Amino acid sequence: MSDIALSVSQPNEKPVRSAARTFRTIQTVCIFIVALVIISPLFLLVVASLKDDRFQILADMGSFRAFWVSDPTLNNFKEVGHFSGELAFGRYLFNSLLILVTTVGAGVIVNSMAGFVLAWGTVKGRAAILSIVIALYVIPQESIIMPLVIMVSRAGMTDTFAVQIVPWIASPLYIFLFYQFFAQLPKELLEAAQIDGASIFRIYRSIFMPLSLPAVATVSILTGIETWNQYLWPILVTQTDYARPIAVAIATFFGQDSIYWDRAMAASALMMIPILGLYLAFQRWFVSSFVGSAVKG
Amino acid sequence: MNMQQSPVPSLAKQKRPARSKSDRGRLLQEASMLAPAVLLLTLFLIVPFFLSFWTAMTNQPLVPRPTPLRFIWFTNFVRIFHDDLFWTALWNVSRFTFWILPVQCGLAFATALLLHQKMPFRNLLRGMFFLPAITSMVVVCVIWGTLFQYPTGPFNQILGFVSGGYIQPIDWLGDPEWAMFSIVLLSAWQAYGFQMIVYLAGLQGIPDELYDAARIDGANAVQRFWHVTMPGLRPTHVFVLLITTIQAFKLYTQVAILTQGGPKSSTETVVHYMVRAGFEEQKMGYASAVSVILFVIVLIIALVQRQLLRRFDV
Repeated sequence: MSDIALSVSQPNEKPVRSAARTFRTIQTVCIFIVALVIISPLFLLVVASLKDDRFQILADMGSFRAFWVSDPTLNNFKEVGHFSGELAFGRYLFNSLLILVTTVGAGVIVNSMAGFVLAWGTVKGRAAILSIVIALYVIPQESIIMPLVIMVSRAGMTDTFAVQIVPWIASPLYIFLFYQFFAQLPKELLEAAQIDGASIFRIYRSIFMPLSLPAVATVSILTGIETWNQYLWPILVTQTDYARPIAVAIATFFGQDSIYWDRAMAASALMMIPILGLYLAFQRWFVSSFVGSAVKG
Repeated sequence: MNMQQSPVPSLAKQKRPARSKSDRGRLLQEASMLAPAVLLLTLFLIVPFFLSFWTAMTNQPLVPRPTPLRFIWFTNFVRIFHDDLFWTALWNVSRFTFWILPVQCGLAFATALLLHQKMPFRNLLRGMFFLPAITSMVVVCVIWGTLFQYPTGPFNQILGFVSGGYIQPIDWLGDPEWAMFSIVLLSAWQAYGFQMIVYLAGLQGIPDELYDAARIDGANAVQRFWHVTMPGLRPTHVFVLLITTIQAFKLYTQVAILTQGGPKSSTETVVHYMVRAGFEEQKMGYASAVSVILFVIVLIIALVQRQLLRRFDV
């Protein structure tokens, strides 16, 4: 038993046991209430996005009507869901999804190949590369972003999809996570395949990668969340609609004198949907991937 | 780093001449599997990193100008240290850190303790508590922007109701006294889920035998908490506190969206200061110097973390 605040129930004494059960039920209900309070702002977002009148949204905020909508409407979504023009959130959402899928896909391939060679390769200098990779992890994105902007603008890459994808494909953290995962797989896998004459790339692709679903899931989820929530980099390198991601587009609501809360709420809900869908489908993977990223000190 | 790859095949050849041909093929394959990552890291991490030190000592503008680029040594750093706004930004980030550590880590620790117990629907509850962590900061700003409305937003209504009208409505984001604290609240809400998961992993790492032994010795729940749980979580606490500190020093998005550093520079942060210098004032050299300072701060915190963790691991 690993419970902390509770005293344990004694198996042989029945009354104590049922009392403990009642206690546990009350406790669970209380925790549910705490959870609902904590995620209530998210309910508020969903409810407000279904209200048509932006002044009504603000007026309702002061009371429990903030959590209730009497005549739900999808008008806000229709209003912002265009693919061109001023409220082209359909397009921004598509842009974000495109950037997400390419970054995650390329990231998994590039980082896993590097991690595999660092774990099982014979190339000289692997140890040196590994320690450089670990050292690079300390550098925060914020402190390289200024020279990086100069570099990409000199290269004429501003306002493209590539500029939002290519710089963030290779990552010291994910190379390290793959390295760690591959290194703990048994050596016999490699040796048996080598005796059969398989090339090193073949061994990586057909034997090690299929066994690495947990690592692939971890890296995909972490890269995905990071890419989806990028804000600083895209505002520096996108000026037009062409490749603007949805996060940057939503932030522009705050630049106006009077904020269109109805539209902002609908756009935010649009941005929540894909990540929420993935989260509901792969919840356990999400949680364990965050643990994985924290293991290294 | 690419240079290391060329001499390797010949070395391997000398070692095992019998299998030299297949060895060479293998090394070539390995090198080409390593190459994309090495190339990308070099181009987009190592080069800009070293470039930032060089740019920091020039008067580099954002867009190329006809005037020649000048190497000005540490002038940018001297200017930064003479700029009151930079010190305000550093002070604000420190204030933010001072508040966010107890609020965010406390919330994370408390929820982790709640969720660590055996109970029905545990995974569902964990999923609910983790939801804010997957919410994008921009979305959080939209939601909390309405929560903070003055004078009739939900927070003000709740405060007024609880205090029976005694507490006057607070202009959360518009009052210099309150703005940074408001940013703390929404940041803690968005990010505590991550620390909660780390604490849950830490709690799971404490062996059950320790609790059993404590129980046999007659320790009650409170004593078990202070003498088993807390010592067992010491490395986790260090990790969580320092990772939160590093995050805090990089504070940018929520401030850029909600307050733009205002009111009266009360939410100006180091990164926001850097971006403004680079893009509004077009002084890239100056901005790079700020980024070098930011790196040094983060490096110091990371080194402290490594030292402390090493001490606890042994």
